[in-house]
Amino acid sequence: MLGTLFALSLVCAFVVKPASKYELKRESNSDVRSENANRLRLLTWNIGNGDLESETRAHTEDLPAVAKVILDNDADAVALQELTGNGQLKLLLQYLENRYSGYVCSSADGDRVEAVLVKKNSEREHADRLEAGATFSDVPAGDRFAAAATFRVQKDSPEVVLVSAHADAFSASRRRQFATDATNWVRSHTKSELTFIAGDFNFEVSTRNKNNLFTDHAKHDSESYAYLLKYFRDLGLDAGETSINDRRIDYVFGPMANVSLRRAEVLRSVAIGRMDHWPLLVEVAF
Amino acid sequence: MITHLRLELLKLVRSKGFYLSFAALSAFVMLMLWGFYSYAQKKTSGLANEQFKYTYESKTYFNGLTFTLYSLMFAFSLVIPIFVAMTAGGQIACERRAGTLRMICIRPVSRASIVVAKFLVVAIHTYLLLAFFIGLNLLVGLLFVGWGNLELYPGPLNLVDAPGRILRDEALWRFCYASFSGTWALLVVAAIAMLLSVIFRNPVTAVAATIAIYLMLYIVGRIEFFVDLRPFFFTTDMDFWRDVLKPEVPWPDLYHYVATCGAYIFGLMLTAVIIFERKDITT
Repeated sequence: MLGTLFALSLVCAFVVKPASKYELKRESNSDVRSENANRLRLLTWNIGNGDLESETRAHTEDLPAVAKVILDNDADAVALQELTGNGQLKLLLQYLENRYSGYVCSSADGDRVEAVLVKKNSEREHADRLEAGATFSDVPAGDRFAAAATFRVQKDSPEVVLVSAHADAFSASRRRQFATDATNWVRSHTKSELTFIAGDFNFEVSTRNKNNLFTDHAKHDSESYAYLLKYFRDLGLDAGETSINDRRIDYVFGPMANVSLRRAEVLRSVAIGRMDHWPLLVEVAF
Repeated sequence: MITHLRLELLKLVRSKGFYLSFAALSAFVMLMLWGFYSYAQKKTSGLANEQFKYTYESKTYFNGLTFTLYSLMFAFSLVIPIFVAMTAGGQIACERRAGTLRMICIRPVSRASIVVAKFLVVAIHTYLLLAFFIGLNLLVGLLFVGWGNLELYPGPLNLVDAPGRILRDEALWRFCYASFSGTWALLVVAAIAMLLSVIFRNPVTAVAATIAIYLMLYIVGRIEFFVDLRPFFFTTDMDFWRDVLKPEVPWPDLYHYVATCGAYIFGLMLTAVIIFERKDITT
């Protein structure tokens, strides 16, 4: 009898396969939209380097490759993290053939800055955008800043706000303050219904991270993430890990309503140099 | 078989270890209550930062159901397996050490039925432990912490990827399901202990070896160095019991891991029976 039960269990274990998490969710969120809907393609990427590098900020020699990824994916707006400063931004904009305008936030006391880029598609759209007035600003959050851009994809389309954010890598408490401040800033300073916060938040909220039973550290990240989800939708939820060691720490938070997700993908084939993050590309229709 | 089962049950309820396990779990619930209550007080009272006065901006996050969930998660991983291993590891080895195994084996019952009856008693004890633990937590939670819905957030406990909520009545049913899924998962530990109880003469060796194997795989499975080995550990498959506490139960995953744990249980028990049937009992 035990032998029969053993064989039966073994057969069942092989026949009934656990569902692949990402496959299942991808099917459920592949919203179908008419081709006429406005499209917005956002890309977020921490272009800094791994801890083992002597320079953990973005390497200037990587910028041509970064520009190529942005151009190849035809992103409407880009949130970049861990640049060294305005010099790298200017160089990047040159590599982008001046098809983008950009901005880096204040560095506060830090040694690295976040950038936000907005595409200037064609001469006509370029003129439209200038007319519409793409604006950039600093977002004070915790003890650092994020970079925000306000723009329109087309002249008649609604205003879009994108915030490029990078939360503290080492302190969950500071991450919580940062996420709360960034969320509150967006809610109080923008009237747009199309608001996105993208960047490297360093949240450790994955179900695969079972190392802790319960810590304040985990609770802080959990509360930060929950606070963001109170007002936003995690558009890259099903795209998988965005960083080495199977971590999903780069996010694009978008509106709960008014947009439908067309695509959320981590571009793992475009790893450059010794970067420890992959770009996360999100496309929505609105 | 029924008579044998009844006799084994009598032995179980007359043993001090049986009551010790319930007493230890009760003490654990009290410890959890103190920790949970003081933590919740500190995090939600005036001592907390004004901005984060309520955990998850919810006044009712810390309630009896959340208390039960936390308590169960912690105890399931680190406390309950010890008592299961103690009960199962002593089943055959204790009889051998006491000199009663030889007498049992000369009765007109097959050796297989002896092992199976003993394992069934362990299974009953495991279920009673879990049901008692869940019931006591719910009772204590209701009386001392309060009642509410079960709110789940990503991060602590690593249970969900997105915030979710299970309504109170549904949550009570989920805890009921957890008593069964948890028992099934723990029977893998029980089966290992039974096998080792057949192999070793000393019950202490069987119990210690079982706990060592369990804890080693449990800890190693949580170290990133061994991420590629993790799918091959039975401790990874045992984790399925928590799925019934997710807002949406992933049934295909659940069935798969139930079957996998079943394969472990019946495979180990089959091995134990084969070894026991061939064993020369000289004491």
